[in-house]
Amino acid sequence: MKRVLPHPEREGRPALWRSLDELAAKPEFNDLLEREFPQGAAEWQGGEISRRNFLQLMGASMALAGVGLTGCRRPEAYLVPFTSGVEWTIPGKFLFYATTQPRRNGAMPLIATTSDGRPTKLEGNPLHPISNGGTDAFAQASVLDLYDPNRSKDIKSGGARTDAAAFAAKLDAISAASASNGGDGLAFLVERVDSPTRDRLLAQLREKFPRLLWVEYEPLGASGAEAAAAACFGAGTVVTPDFSRADKVLAVDSDFLNASFSGLDQVRGFMARRRISEPGQPMNRLYVAETRFTGTGGMADHRLRIKPSEAGPFLRAFGREVAARTGDADLAATVAAFPEGKLSADEAWIVTCGKDLAASPGQSVVVVGDSQPAAVQALAFAINNALGAGGKTLRGLQAARPAAATITELASAMEAGRVQNLFILGGNPVYNAPADLRFGDLLGGVPATVRLGLYEDETSALCQWHVPQTHYLESWGDARSADGTICAVQPMILPLWGGMSELEILNRLAGNPEPVGPQLVRETFATVADGGDLEAQWTEFLRKGFLPGTTWTEASLNFNPAAAIALFANQNAANAGGLEVAFTPSSTMDDGRYANNGWLQETPDFATKVTWDNAALVSPATAKSLGLATGDMVQLSAGERKIEAAAIIAPGHADDAVSIALGYGRRNAGKISEGVGFNAYPLRTTGGMAFAANASLKRTGATHKFAETQSHQSMEGRDLVREGTMERYAEDPEFAQTMGMDGHIPPNISLFTHPKLDSPEQWGMTVDLSTCTGCNACVVACQAENNVPIVGKDQVSRGRNMAWLRMDRYFAGDEEDPEMLAQAIMCQHCENAPCETVCPVNATVHSEDGINLMAYNRCIGTRYCANNCPWKVRRFNFFDYNQRPLDELYLGPLAKKGMAESLQMSKNPNVTVRMRGVMEKCMYCIQRIEEAKITHAVKAGPTDKSKVSFPEVKSACQQACPSESIVFGNINDPQSRVARLKLEPRNYSMLKYLNVSPRTTYLARIKNPNMAMPGADKVGWANGHPHHGGGHGEDHGSHGAPAEHATEAHGT
Amino acid sequence: MADVFMQSPEAAAKRIERAPLVTSNRSMAWITNHVASCTEKRAPLWWWIAFMLSASLATVSVLCIGYLISTGVGVWGLNHPVGWAWDITNFVFWIGIGHAGTLISAILFLTRQKWRTSINRAAEAMTLFAVVCAGIFPAVHVGRIWMVWFLAPVPNSNAIWQNFRSPLLWDVFAVSTYFTVSVLFWYTGLVPDLATLRDRAKTKLRRFFYGILALGWRGGNRQWKHYEMAYLILAGLSTPLVLSVHSVVSFDFATSVIPGWHTTIFPPYFVAGAIFGGFAMVLTIMLPARAIFGLHDLITDDHVDKMCKIILLTGSIVGYAYAMEFFIAWYGGNLFEQYAFINRATGPYWWAYWSMIFCNVVAPQLFWMRFFRRHVLWVFVVCMFVNAGMWFERFVIIVTSLHRDFLPSSWGMFYPTWVDIWTFVGTFGIFLSLFLVFIRWLPMICIFEVKAVLPEADPHHGDHDGHAAAPAAALKGGAH
Repeated sequence: MKRVLPHPEREGRPALWRSLDELAAKPEFNDLLEREFPQGAAEWQGGEISRRNFLQLMGASMALAGVGLTGCRRPEAYLVPFTSGVEWTIPGKFLFYATTQPRRNGAMPLIATTSDGRPTKLEGNPLHPISNGGTDAFAQASVLDLYDPNRSKDIKSGGARTDAAAFAAKLDAISAASASNGGDGLAFLVERVDSPTRDRLLAQLREKFPRLLWVEYEPLGASGAEAAAAACFGAGTVVTPDFSRADKVLAVDSDFLNASFSGLDQVRGFMARRRISEPGQPMNRLYVAETRFTGTGGMADHRLRIKPSEAGPFLRAFGREVAARTGDADLAATVAAFPEGKLSADEAWIVTCGKDLAASPGQSVVVVGDSQPAAVQALAFAINNALGAGGKTLRGLQAARPAAATITELASAMEAGRVQNLFILGGNPVYNAPADLRFGDLLGGVPATVRLGLYEDETSALCQWHVPQTHYLESWGDARSADGTICAVQPMILPLWGGMSELEILNRLAGNPEPVGPQLVRETFATVADGGDLEAQWTEFLRKGFLPGTTWTEASLNFNPAAAIALFANQNAANAGGLEVAFTPSSTMDDGRYANNGWLQETPDFATKVTWDNAALVSPATAKSLGLATGDMVQLSAGERKIEAAAIIAPGHADDAVSIALGYGRRNAGKISEGVGFNAYPLRTTGGMAFAANASLKRTGATHKFAETQSHQSMEGRDLVREGTMERYAEDPEFAQTMGMDGHIPPNISLFTHPKLDSPEQWGMTVDLSTCTGCNACVVACQAENNVPIVGKDQVSRGRNMAWLRMDRYFAGDEEDPEMLAQAIMCQHCENAPCETVCPVNATVHSEDGINLMAYNRCIGTRYCANNCPWKVRRFNFFDYNQRPLDELYLGPLAKKGMAESLQMSKNPNVTVRMRGVMEKCMYCIQRIEEAKITHAVKAGPTDKSKVSFPEVKSACQQACPSESIVFGNINDPQSRVARLKLEPRNYSMLKYLNVSPRTTYLARIKNPNMAMPGADKVGWANGHPHHGGGHGEDHGSHGAPAEHATEAHGT
Repeated sequence: MADVFMQSPEAAAKRIERAPLVTSNRSMAWITNHVASCTEKRAPLWWWIAFMLSASLATVSVLCIGYLISTGVGVWGLNHPVGWAWDITNFVFWIGIGHAGTLISAILFLTRQKWRTSINRAAEAMTLFAVVCAGIFPAVHVGRIWMVWFLAPVPNSNAIWQNFRSPLLWDVFAVSTYFTVSVLFWYTGLVPDLATLRDRAKTKLRRFFYGILALGWRGGNRQWKHYEMAYLILAGLSTPLVLSVHSVVSFDFATSVIPGWHTTIFPPYFVAGAIFGGFAMVLTIMLPARAIFGLHDLITDDHVDKMCKIILLTGSIVGYAYAMEFFIAWYGGNLFEQYAFINRATGPYWWAYWSMIFCNVVAPQLFWMRFFRRHVLWVFVVCMFVNAGMWFERFVIIVTSLHRDFLPSSWGMFYPTWVDIWTFVGTFGIFLSLFLVFIRWLPMICIFEVKAVLPEADPHHGDHDGHAAAPAAALKGGAH
């Protein structure tokens, strides 16, 4: 309660007086000073009980009446100052550091936002050559892993807790023993990371223990592509497509538009040619052949459904056409050598596609997914070679990677008893190694097993030693990005629960002294830096986050057909056919490594919209023939191996095939992942890493409940996502603005005057549907930025997920082979907001700069605003999702209360953590806008603020978007990108007839079909064909014939 | 009609003479005795059983609400997109029921419909109890009930006021005004009868209790003069409220943008529906009470008949509104509007829609026939249908409009939880408990007004006998 500070009495006659009354020292003035609200008559001060006392008494009796109802309180919070400050910290200001997330397909360069020494948010590093500042869902969510309270915290030996000294002794003992026998029996199983320091330490170890076994394993690695590249173009060649130079792209079983599985540069390159602003502008064309719908398939101009085994036969047919068109003898020979396989796809599709790509030599490219075997990859290289892609749309780089054995070789060594000391550094082979290796069983035969892991998971349970691994945000390291540039991995915080990094263990084994700080990385750095002032270069390296000029050298791509043909020997045509079960990377769990990440668990898979589960996807036709319905439990078996999973009918899936995402069904991996989804790894063998052929599917009779965030697939004829072809856009540029009802709406007249939006900054947003792939990076970024809680599977299935930004997905057209459309939906910030008028307590109001605000403190939770929101973007906190354990939500006051301490550290301090009973929603990252306003005011100082430029503000979703589809900014500034985009004819607002004037608008999706392709007339018409000729657009400048319009509208 | 004019004037006058409002030639003393004794006799066993049952049910509701408040609104089945479901359905349902009482008391009073006298007291009481039940839901449905005082225009240091554009705020004022005026109106009408009970009281406690409540009523001429004026003024105040409250409630929906809600037809449609449902509930409560207390001479079959006619009339208005909604959806040419109505009739909640149509439109058609209007069991059955139908109407409007609005991506379903169900069922316990308490301690029929409609009350009654009629006012007040 506010105290009334006694006003200092003035002695004698005041020299300065505030009113004539004071000058006269009248008692009325003293009265006035006493009162908190001088002009207010609201105070009741008569008698014994003042208004304040009365409220106190009433409050106390209310509290008594509410004994036991402990939920009904405002959350208590304390602000405690630091006893000693964090270096460089200015309280309330963020510090930004460059760092890097190591990845199997090249490191993700990042900028970490830290506050009071805690990293709370990650962004892409825009300085880095491969990055445009975008990220992906995994990078966005990885900050939560750092604070995961389920992370392993203790060094354990034989299941019992021990200490670091004991482990150090163990390491020294192994080191000494191995030194004496030249490394016999010493094996390392590591993840794929291109880390110069790790390579340097490995070289040291190899020198010391010449016979050590160094094994790299990635369940979703690109080993096929690497092997094929090595064979066809020479060892160490890295082949990357350069979409920024490609007009025509064919992707076979490849989700290259998801930055998680390709790279930021690939998405950016493709989108640069996809983005179309002016009508008539050229754009690229994308052909996709795939089994299940991926985001890439959703973007395709032409999409062909093929079974997983058909990638090879498809490319063979395609290659034959390209060879015929280009007359390339190498390709003809390669195609002829490629084993023939069964292909059920439409021949005309393949031929026309081949013709189209062959017509653009040097401007077209074929990409094949990572899971495809070396033979198929080699065939694609041959085709690309014939298409003249080498050096143009396909780049070659010469990588220098240390040799590594495969997990199969490790398994046979283990089986033969040749492994005495096994270090499993990261990874989780017991869970994700090919099932036929029986890796878990083999582990028992190894005398000493040491596991370094973030979690005490399936593998840790079978190892003698478990050492907690430090998260990449709390350890020093380095990693190369996909182009080879060396990036710095900087710790943002001291290890929360101790632990060691992979480098520290290798360093200890190498017999080096324990490193101090960045010493290990710095030593490596000294070997790659180009002389000069090392200290200055090192500082610059850390500041920038990467060392420029360290890309791998450019290599020319000289295709060797004989080597490619040699690879075909391994292509077993028999290993195909029947019902095929494809193993796909999970768009949210990757290979299972993010299983305990609540943000990702609750992020819906884009194509299925399922959270907290994976599923066996089957096409509608196959489901019909097998008598399956969504939610049926099925047993999938291939040979002796079987798994159980729940089925989902997935439109656009290939027939006679099942897709199941890997990464689910984890055990002992933390509270979040426990019992979530179905483990598909037991069906995956070394011979069938991409898919299992001749499988059988049997209904078990049980059913499973999925938690889907979107249950309805169709737009129901509503023009929400608007789509057109390039041709239509050229002919009728206004088509998106005049579609459906929008062509008939007379101008609206407002009944009352709206409050003025008179701030110089007016915020607005556009979402380009032409380039949005639905990759979910924005969804997770929003969650991280805005402290959005997770609610758990049960609550999601009840329709209570809290995502402020969601990715809507619609199917249009034929159920078997539809188009898939993505639309990111967040608060549209209607200028004439329906939510604002209905809130009885003024808890949601408009700011002068055009933002629809939520005053959480004021909200009483009537939910009227959410009901009246046409976009349904408002989210209500039905329980205390932030404070109560998700499995005890219904216990009310009996449930445990409070958030794990580490999770508290993960919150963005500039955003309120909302309590229960309160409505919340997107506010265009107002905390960032306010930050910018302060910066602006500080910069302007006493001068006129309008003369100083306003700092750039990016919303979290915009910043994360790898395809730059979301653009946010000041629509009042004609120079701003968002203002220019809003002038494009593609720009439209949804539900225009409501006259709510949303500030978020959408840019219609433009498709570039090849009219010679079968089914081309359906491409780009997701909204249906207009009734007459050129659409509604032509004649409604004149409202001269209202009767005619009215009749039309009925039929719409 | 035609044959009336063909007969002799005397015969015609005889034929169109009104049926007596009190049958069996009951005397004034009998009326007083009969009504007052209901509160004076020992409570019968059935009363105790009924009260215990309904009080237990009321407790269930209270416990459910306690669970709701302590745990969160999530214990109900609400979700995104269905932010309101049973809570507001129940609110509108109960508020609707609360319309009949005041309509009977105020509008029928102003239009001098004398038959109202024997039913207005109980109907008004029912109104109040229904509004009590209604008021629970908007209060507890909010996320943070401990902050609901934000709805009151309390001056505060932030200078934040209520949003006077919000229909929900209008609701707060409309319902609280309605409740206040209804209580005053009811209580004012009770005062003379409370004095009767006081005068008949045999124990000190009763004398004291009714003495306080009777406010010193002595039945003097001046008191009657004041009373009549006060009652008339309150009736005048209540009349617009009957129409306004449900209109305002309907604004919650009508002013929104949601297809299925955004409809100008709502205010009259809601008022008609409220009267419809209210009369059905009056009959539902009154028919058993009449049977138990043997009040057939005061609440005659004519009363039942008249109320059935009102049900038929308002039910037809409601049916017309249902049809008109569909017509406008088609005629308006709005895709979203059209879908909303097609979805109502054929979507996942088709059963709720067709239940509503059957209960509200089809079932009351029986009342075209005199037999069904005067057969107690049939009347009761039809009224039960109407009660259920009116609940379904609100459910249909609220849930089927919300569950599928503009963006198909956000479409969802609503399933009630056990807390939803028991909170609602429990409010019947609250309602019945209050009603049972009412019939035990207060005269459920307005004694003095019923006496005023007896033939003896007519100052000219028995003029031909040469007797001077006693002034009506004196008759009303005394304890005969």
